[in-house]
Amino acid sequence: MRPHWSPLVDSLSAIGHGGLLGRWQEGRRLLHDNGVTYNVYGDPAATDRPWPLDPVPLVINAREWNGIETALRQRATLLNHILADLYGPRRLLRDDLLPPELIFRHDGFLRPCTGVAVPRGIYLHTYAADIARAPDGRWWVLADRTQAPSGAGYALENRLVSTRVLGDVFRSAQVRRLARFFEVYRETLRDLVPHHRENPRIVLLTPGPYNETYFEHAFLARYLGFTLVEGADLTVRENSVFLKTLGGLLPVDLIIRRQDDSFCDPVELREDSMLGVAGLLQAVRMGNVAVTNALGSGLVESAAPAAFLPHLCRHILGEELKMPTVATWWCGQPQALAHVLENLPKLVIKPAFPDHRHEPIFGARLSPRQLEKLVAEMRAFPADYVAQEQVALATVPVWDERQLQPRHFVLRVYLVAEGDSYAVMPGGLTRVTTSLDSLVVSMQHGGGSKDTWVLADQPAPEFSLLRPEAAAIEVNRATIDLPSRIADNLFWLGRYVERVEMVVRVARAILSRISQESDPLREAGIEAAYRVLAAAGHLGAEPASTAPSAPPERQVLAMIYDSASRGGLGWNLHQVRRVAWLLRDRISADAWQILNRFEQEFSTPAPAEPLRISAATSLLDHFIITLSAFSGLVMESMTRGHGWRFLDIGRRLERAIQLVDLVRYGLGYQPATDSGQLEVLLEIADSSLTYRSRYLTSMQENLVIDLLLLDEANPRSAAFQLARLREDIDQLPESVSLTHRPPEWRLAVRLLTAVQVAEAAELVRPDEHGHWVNLEKLVTRLAVELPLLSETLTRSYFDHAVAAPQLYAPESN
Amino acid sequence: MALRVTHTTTYTYSNAVSVSHTEVHLAPRSDRTQTPIEHHLVVDPMPESLIARCDYFGNPVTHFSIHEPHETLVITSTSVVDRHVLEAVHPALTPSWEQVAQEVGKHDTEATFEALEFAYESPRVPLTPAFAAYAAPSFTPGRPLLEAGLDLCHRIFTDFKYDQRATTVTTPIDQVLQKRNGVCQDFAHVMIACMRSRGVPARYVSGYVRSARQFASGQASHAWVSAFCPGFGWLDFDPTNDLMPAGGHVTIAWGRDYSDVPPVQGVALGGGEQDISVDVEVVTQGS
Repeated sequence: MRPHWSPLVDSLSAIGHGGLLGRWQEGRRLLHDNGVTYNVYGDPAATDRPWPLDPVPLVINAREWNGIETALRQRATLLNHILADLYGPRRLLRDDLLPPELIFRHDGFLRPCTGVAVPRGIYLHTYAADIARAPDGRWWVLADRTQAPSGAGYALENRLVSTRVLGDVFRSAQVRRLARFFEVYRETLRDLVPHHRENPRIVLLTPGPYNETYFEHAFLARYLGFTLVEGADLTVRENSVFLKTLGGLLPVDLIIRRQDDSFCDPVELREDSMLGVAGLLQAVRMGNVAVTNALGSGLVESAAPAAFLPHLCRHILGEELKMPTVATWWCGQPQALAHVLENLPKLVIKPAFPDHRHEPIFGARLSPRQLEKLVAEMRAFPADYVAQEQVALATVPVWDERQLQPRHFVLRVYLVAEGDSYAVMPGGLTRVTTSLDSLVVSMQHGGGSKDTWVLADQPAPEFSLLRPEAAAIEVNRATIDLPSRIADNLFWLGRYVERVEMVVRVARAILSRISQESDPLREAGIEAAYRVLAAAGHLGAEPASTAPSAPPERQVLAMIYDSASRGGLGWNLHQVRRVAWLLRDRISADAWQILNRFEQEFSTPAPAEPLRISAATSLLDHFIITLSAFSGLVMESMTRGHGWRFLDIGRRLERAIQLVDLVRYGLGYQPATDSGQLEVLLEIADSSLTYRSRYLTSMQENLVIDLLLLDEANPRSAAFQLARLREDIDQLPESVSLTHRPPEWRLAVRLLTAVQVAEAAELVRPDEHGHWVNLEKLVTRLAVELPLLSETLTRSYFDHAVAAPQLYAPESN
Repeated sequence: MALRVTHTTTYTYSNAVSVSHTEVHLAPRSDRTQTPIEHHLVVDPMPESLIARCDYFGNPVTHFSIHEPHETLVITSTSVVDRHVLEAVHPALTPSWEQVAQEVGKHDTEATFEALEFAYESPRVPLTPAFAAYAAPSFTPGRPLLEAGLDLCHRIFTDFKYDQRATTVTTPIDQVLQKRNGVCQDFAHVMIACMRSRGVPARYVSGYVRSARQFASGQASHAWVSAFCPGFGWLDFDPTNDLMPAGGHVTIAWGRDYSDVPPVQGVALGGGEQDISVDVEVVTQGS
């Protein structure tokens, strides 16, 4: 064991097995509650899965770290010089310091980027290296990450969790802090802004929620205070980039891209990219927007150029490469090919060009026949192959919940340009293999991760320079502009949350009555609530009238526990989660925690038959409280900007629709059968208390209708929702003009007036058939025009989503 | 001799396009075979911005974007070029194709270094063994490059059938080689693949050919091949018409293959179904 590990190991022994288990449960809860996830491609069932973190950090002492820092700074500087040459004079190719074929055939060599000026002459504003330690203690570089290095956000999240769980150990170990690195990062980005505009708008461009590291994009955007955008949120006008917001187009100064450069502009780069921003490269060329890392920087990411780094380092920097790359041969050179073919069983064979995708081939694992085939392929197309030595990896202890086990590890270290050099994050993302036999470290293949503790030489004075990390995470929403896409999602989040609440309330009203003693009041209540549920489509595809066979309670239970049926509780809840997921960077961490707990509660299997009804009732009780907490937190944690307004519009609109449905299906247009029917409606609308405080126990239809539809003071009435809708819509950007009121404004005003001028006594005046025509007219109008309001809003504000980009059909000749 | 080219491209959409970004290779480039005299580009509707520059290969390119809703987009390019008649090269005087490959591999002059880039596979031109095999009878040991090139050009002209319905712009060229039919773009790609698989740099030339009965591709843009020969520069071959372009061709742009120099490319937001029509006219100036 290395000596600098001993304090940690001593502390862990002192905590003991039980203690560590307890602390670690807490750690996992934190990860789950914070929504730390990693998407696994090719897994249709789950779009994301929990982030695997091991409680025992990797510890590196100050001296060893100094060596790593110096070596990686040198490497970043070197790669930067290489890129500047390849996209400029190309002397390295002319002089054969790098084989021209390697670059000319590389699909990461983006020809349109040649000669495009990059801000401050820097291509790699950020850089990461995957490094590994050999058993003899030497560090090796396994891979370079030069496009949009991922994982710094996960490293930060690992740190947040490990300091919470091992706080006492952490404090006594003099571990260097990560926060300054992110400060430098922010400053570097500010320096890159063209024309040094004050208050520049910086956006983080993500490929979207289906990307493997989307969590990190959202997390970093929030941590650094930048707007998270997708390609569709940006547009290029007159060779400048703009963010499409509700308030109009806002200029963008700097784009932090988290997608491969070739996908960034369908006009000049990959024409099949739907993720990019058409015209972006022209805007960059004109110097109107900066992109980091510079477009084209993916060129030096693959293994083949690494084979030439040692002599390039001597040539360009006049010094030896301080940390070696794993021995690499590009087979396009005859002597390299000869060496590789002689030593195949000791080597890993990889594609030389990234578009020739194949998994690494381990020479040692091939049968004689496979080996022969590979040799033939390599002789025919030698330039397509790169061979690397297999490194023996050192191990670190990993806790498997019983004991510490040795595993191989790879450390990803992050650098950011600072002045003429680079700042190195004192720490990084440590990833471990799943078993000791495995040499593949990959989150895609189920590996785990660790926090990385870099020890300081002395008690660190940097303590005082720093804000505590927990405080740094505060969100500064006031400066964040609202893309139309986000407004759209917030609107739907509001609608789904409200819909779920209504379904829960109706279901609870039914179940609680079923477990009571039988009487006519009870029956009328069940019947009315069941009609509401069935007519609104929450019992699944079959309308109740065609499936009367199953007793109501069975259908309600099925709706609760069967997540597959469309329109059911599970389905609606899934919609809430889906939309919330699209909004991950907009929703407070606390609200996320609640949402994640929801999911846990609902993934528990249905209890055995005799307990089902009571279990379901208490589940629903619990649910209503959690749901209120969720919407409360979401609403309360947002500043009263347009984002909040659209969330509120969604909620109000949905609640009004649900209340209208409640009257329409639960009561209808004639007198109630008995007071049980009216009671259940009041209960569902959470208005029993108000009713009783006003009218005591006497039940009258007109009073109930007044309370549920017309009473603007009752927060559960349709009138209240309409009044709020009008207020919200009044504040929207399109409503500002007094002379040209937009259609949604006029619609909202008309609907509000309709309920304001209605009188309960008039509504229940029967015609010659005993039918309440006036009520029917009002309710029908609301039922038709409320969805219309939703459509009108969509047309006015979210229309961008409708038009999909397409390429010009090329002409043929 | 001066040639006047009028090239009109019309896109018609079933729904309005709200935004479009377009890049065009429509202006003739200057080289030893021609001098551009005049060029006008008219875009309807009028673009919000229009910028002309040179692309990576030195071809003139124009970038424009339109931000008003439009159901049709009409791009009209009118150019006049003066074509120069070069002295014919005697095939036997050119170096052997092996020497060419070797010289370029060494790339110790500016010209050979520039040519090197056209010696490798490119997005539309994969170098599968089938092309090397097809090229073999033309590339006999020690044969002067121009002889080999003319022979290859003639064989493609004879072996392949010109058929506009046989291929689309995206048909892979191994399929063209297998089926032996296609249009000028396909023949140019096949010839390029054959030459590169023998180590000879070859580039794709996009342009026009004067409308005359004996030439194919009168009503559209045209494409041919240019191969590098140290000491002689780039030599043009038109496998669609089995000749070396002289006075009747107009060069617009060159690149590794079609994907570097499409006449019109871009992205439109919305639009629904799209329909494209192209009209090209090449006439002798003053006639």
